[in-house]
Amino acid sequence: MTVHGIRTAASQTTKVKNGVGAFILQCKKMEFHYCDWAGSSRGMNGFIKGILPKFAAANPQIEFSISPRPNKHPVVTGHYINGRTKPVCVRNLSPYEILEKVELLRDASGEKLTKTNKAVTSTKDSVRGIWSPFHGKGEPV
Amino acid sequence: MKRLRPSRWNAGQLLQARAASAPLPPRRPFLHQCQLRCLETETSPAETTAIPANMTSSLDGGAGGPSSSRSRISPKLSALHARLSLPKTLPLPTLARALITPSANRDHGANNKSLAVLGVSIINYHVTEYLLCKWPRLPMGVMYQALRGYVGPESLGEMARRWGAEAAHAPGPEVDPGLLQWEPTRIVPGENWGGYLTREELSGFDRRAGDLDVHNGPQKIEQWENHAFASFAQALVGAIYSHSGREAAKQFVESHILSRQLEMGTLFKFVNPLRELSLLCKREGFEAPIARLESETGRMSRTPVFLVGIYSGKEKLGEGAGSSLQMARKKAAMASLKAWYLYSPGNKVRVPSDMFKKGAAKWRAPHIDCGEVIT
Repeated sequence: MTVHGIRTAASQTTKVKNGVGAFILQCKKMEFHYCDWAGSSRGMNGFIKGILPKFAAANPQIEFSISPRPNKHPVVTGHYINGRTKPVCVRNLSPYEILEKVELLRDASGEKLTKTNKAVTSTKDSVRGIWSPFHGKGEPV
Repeated sequence: MKRLRPSRWNAGQLLQARAASAPLPPRRPFLHQCQLRCLETETSPAETTAIPANMTSSLDGGAGGPSSSRSRISPKLSALHARLSLPKTLPLPTLARALITPSANRDHGANNKSLAVLGVSIINYHVTEYLLCKWPRLPMGVMYQALRGYVGPESLGEMARRWGAEAAHAPGPEVDPGLLQWEPTRIVPGENWGGYLTREELSGFDRRAGDLDVHNGPQKIEQWENHAFASFAQALVGAIYSHSGREAAKQFVESHILSRQLEMGTLFKFVNPLRELSLLCKREGFEAPIARLESETGRMSRTPVFLVGIYSGKEKLGEGAGSSLQMARKKAAMASLKAWYLYSPGNKVRVPSDMFKKGAAKWRAPHIDCGEVIT
């Protein structure tokens, strides 16, 4: 037998393509911190009472935890599958403004924000191939 | 210091005298246990009285595992269930059981061993039939590495981590049922089956890489962790199969495991490609391959490039570029061999398990190759 299979670190793990086949929401946990006394938490308290139950019921794949944080501004923290967290301070925001922030955290991938310069980012080789000087008829000089 | 676990005393382990030279306990039928466990999650306590007393103690996961009522109120567990879009017929206690590895709880009625054994055979079946139908000419060694790329502990472990499964710091009865419970202990293949290695265990280990060597086997903590996370993924497929059926398990394997990307062309390693190519042409009745220099530059310079194509009659089999004529010829031969071995009927290839579906179109046998070139 002259053909062998190579066992390398790269060949042992296949690449994950989230959304091809199965989609896993990257936000796995959300923490809501509020204060009962401070005025900056007024919107947060309204959000927790009025909007959060519906939001939690609509997003069962996220674990929600609510805890008081006395004498501090209200904070929403998203925990992501890649191990990162995203805290957002929501002081003096109205419940619906907080909902926007929460939806932003839910839809985030957890990665650092980066500027995308290329139109397509792919794990596969280009279909067209790269230019080769050895093929084709060449340019007349 | 090792913690005392009074809950384990109920299982009758400490009440029995156990001689040091006692013979191995008889092998218990794991499928029977699995079935009973599935029943337990759905039946009322009155119905479970028919089960022998020594079984019921292991069924409710009391020995170190989360109880059924605790797993139903765990937010982590229900979030994991929803995140994976698991079928509603899969109850939370079974998902909790899939998260308990044998290293955390040796009681096979409470850990995920039996589910994982079931799951491995289902995963291996679907991945193997897919590989065989999609790349019918893959050489055996490459086939095994491709299989390992899809279902090996590294892949499955990483997949389970990307599902959002987290491991507890230490296993125990007080741990949240939504956390993976494992302990960094040496994995001894075949330990659980009286020294016999199951086929499923063999597929996860590589004898030549020293995985089966009990004394020098996997020793790094990352490897143990990979095995623990992989056992969760395997047990989950087993659980889906036992609660929701064959089609649900197949769909889960397709969407989570087969959707991953593996570069098949990188797995090849040729010893003597030129000889193999000429033997292949002889076997298939093609004309003998001839290497032709197609283009070159800088022959007398420090960085020459030669482009060599290999032809069989008028057909071009492949080409390769290299800094010497020999190297370019070898590369061209390797490209030609890869073009042969990586033949695929297409992405929409049908597999035998498609025929289980109701109203499936008539089966047409896939391409079956006579195998790799033997030199």
